[in-house]
Amino acid sequence: MTSLMDHPSRGETIGYSFSQPTAAPVKEHSFYPYTDNGGSTLGITGSDFAILAGDTRSTSGYNINSRMVPKVFKIGGDDETGEGAHILLSVVGFAADGNALKERLDTVVKMYKYQHGKSMSVGACAQRLSTILYQKRFFPYYVHAILAGLDEEGKGALYSYDPVGSYEREQCRAAGAASSLIMPFLDNQVNFKNQYIPGSGEGHALEPKKAEPLPQETVKQLVRDAFTSAVERHIEVGDHLQVMIITKDGVEEVYHPLKKD
Amino acid sequence: MANPFDINGGACVAMVGKDCVAIACDLRLGMQSLTVSNNFPKIFNYAPSTYLGLTGLATDVNTVSDLFRYKVNMYRLREERHIAPQTLANLVSSSLYEKRFGPFFISPVIAGINHTSGKPFICGFDSIGCIDLAKDFIVSGTASDQLFGTCEGLWEPDLSPEDLFETISQALLSGVDRDALSGWGAQVYIIEKDKVTQRLLKGRQD
Amino acid sequence: MNHFPEAWGRPRDDVYGAYNHSYLQTSGPKTHTMSPAVTGTSVVGIKFNGGVALATDNLASYGSLARFTDVKRLRVFGNQAVVGFGGDVSDMQYIDRLLESIDIRENYSTHGNMLNAKNLHTYLAKVFYKRRSEFNPLWNHVLVAGFDGEGKPFLSSADLLGTTFSAPHLATGFGAHLAVPILRRLFPDEKPIEEVTREQAVSALKDCLKVLFYRDARSLDKYSIAVITQEGIDLKEDEQLESQSWAFAERIKGYGAQTN
Repeated sequence: MTSLMDHPSRGETIGYSFSQPTAAPVKEHSFYPYTDNGGSTLGITGSDFAILAGDTRSTSGYNINSRMVPKVFKIGGDDETGEGAHILLSVVGFAADGNALKERLDTVVKMYKYQHGKSMSVGACAQRLSTILYQKRFFPYYVHAILAGLDEEGKGALYSYDPVGSYEREQCRAAGAASSLIMPFLDNQVNFKNQYIPGSGEGHALEPKKAEPLPQETVKQLVRDAFTSAVERHIEVGDHLQVMIITKDGVEEVYHPLKKD
Repeated sequence: MANPFDINGGACVAMVGKDCVAIACDLRLGMQSLTVSNNFPKIFNYAPSTYLGLTGLATDVNTVSDLFRYKVNMYRLREERHIAPQTLANLVSSSLYEKRFGPFFISPVIAGINHTSGKPFICGFDSIGCIDLAKDFIVSGTASDQLFGTCEGLWEPDLSPEDLFETISQALLSGVDRDALSGWGAQVYIIEKDKVTQRLLKGRQD
Repeated sequence: MNHFPEAWGRPRDDVYGAYNHSYLQTSGPKTHTMSPAVTGTSVVGIKFNGGVALATDNLASYGSLARFTDVKRLRVFGNQAVVGFGGDVSDMQYIDRLLESIDIRENYSTHGNMLNAKNLHTYLAKVFYKRRSEFNPLWNHVLVAGFDGEGKPFLSSADLLGTTFSAPHLATGFGAHLAVPILRRLFPDEKPIEEVTREQAVSALKDCLKVLFYRDARSLDKYSIAVITQEGIDLKEDEQLESQSWAFAERIKGYGAQTN
């Protein structure tokens, strides 16, 4: 009986369940709107070309959804095959967001051409992509995007993004599941980081090897080497390698086999 | 609490060449993102051509390196011979498994040449002593992902001692430059049958 | 008994603890489906020379209860596509109504219904993606089977997050673990779908459903199977799994009352 009497009173309420519905905690949402579909992408530029590559495996957890889901897209083409496009976009991360982003950017670039009667420059497209990503700052597109094309001088242009739109023009960039494996390899082989010119001096006087644009064949081989290495050590990367090369003559697309294990 | 393997930072890599092996480590010691020292080598010598690299929690690196100093000294006194890399590997494995339910937070790497057979030997372990016998290379530490990428891309079979030095150095330096918790100089050992060359690499200081 | 008549007959807080009002929420944010209720399990599909085959069992479970044993989870869309539904059954019925209204509207239009399976899949994926972006998901994982705009066999998947992918053979839920390995063994990636016959495809699907019935506790041996070819859709909805062999069950040890 005492227990009833000492019941601590909460404000006006008496200590019974029916009289205190206002104190009910809000039930938490358990739906998580993202998933990681794995895979990796990689872009490298040269003096008159840009290469964008990605594997075609789609995963969820330890499951392989499909061995053929491309993640490099032509942007602003004349038809659904992407014919006539002069900008490439790769997206890796959450594939549904990636597709939505690709379609948004594709529409924007097409509308630009209809409205202005000229093609959108890569620099303008890069800025627009940043804006699109930032517009969803508080419910982001969960993707790492890389945009590639040729700039006004005909040089290879590559822009890389974080999920909320921070972006930067670079010579090379790896993104996605195996980016931590590929990026240091690229630093070494594309930008010649940690490489010095032999016999150029003693100790600190040793001259660093300068990075300069690489020929297309070298870059193609580097891309394939980077991915065969990544496939060896990352389970979410494999099946096929999709490579798109953009030059003044247009876009060339090739597929190479990768290990399927 | 942060992952004990990632508090102090550090990286280590071992590679096989033709009649030679190499083992290399960075020199950083940190507390989370604060660098405390740039002179913390993670490779320890236990016989003329047997080396052990230890990455992970720095206090455990010290404890375990001293523990094996003691154990290997006892082995040498009893057996009146140097310990072979394979033997050290089994000693490391069983010693770590003794602490199966309260492990040292370290990822060891062994590199050496077996003086009976003259064959190169490398291996790695998880923190409870599972041996990873590899024919090519072993990586460990906070930069292990990066090192997997660079080693897989740069390594090739039957490298000469000079080429092996260049390969392991480039792999380590490029690897740790993409890891915030590793770097600040490096130490490389090239182990041949009757010769060990130790080199200090400056590397990026940021 | 106490001095508060309104409390009489009610569970006492000091005995049972305060009642959790989150289950009877009247204020706070609008609530959505945050977990499925009545669910269907795997959907299995495979492409073959000249068409696609799709199969599901006829069970709708309520948790571990086999609640409805005659639920048709293959839905036909306008005589040229079939959607196989896994996941929440009420959301399936909602989507089915959605598709029915589209089909009716299309058929009343001057051009008639020209939406093929590929169009349908794009539409469904966008519905799923829109709903997940509103934090109000349709809790399904579907396979869409039929033909694309060029008349080639089409099989593709879409789920509650809007994720999409396509492959020569697909399975959702438990089927992704149990059926896909069977299908990959029978029809390896190197083997083009032109070399797979309709009979092989159908018998492979039956094998998959059988294995699923053996090992998926939320499955049933009554199933539906649809075969879509250019000639039309052959849908059978009251099939029974034949030639089951439970001999393997005798050898399973380590569960229940067995001691050795």
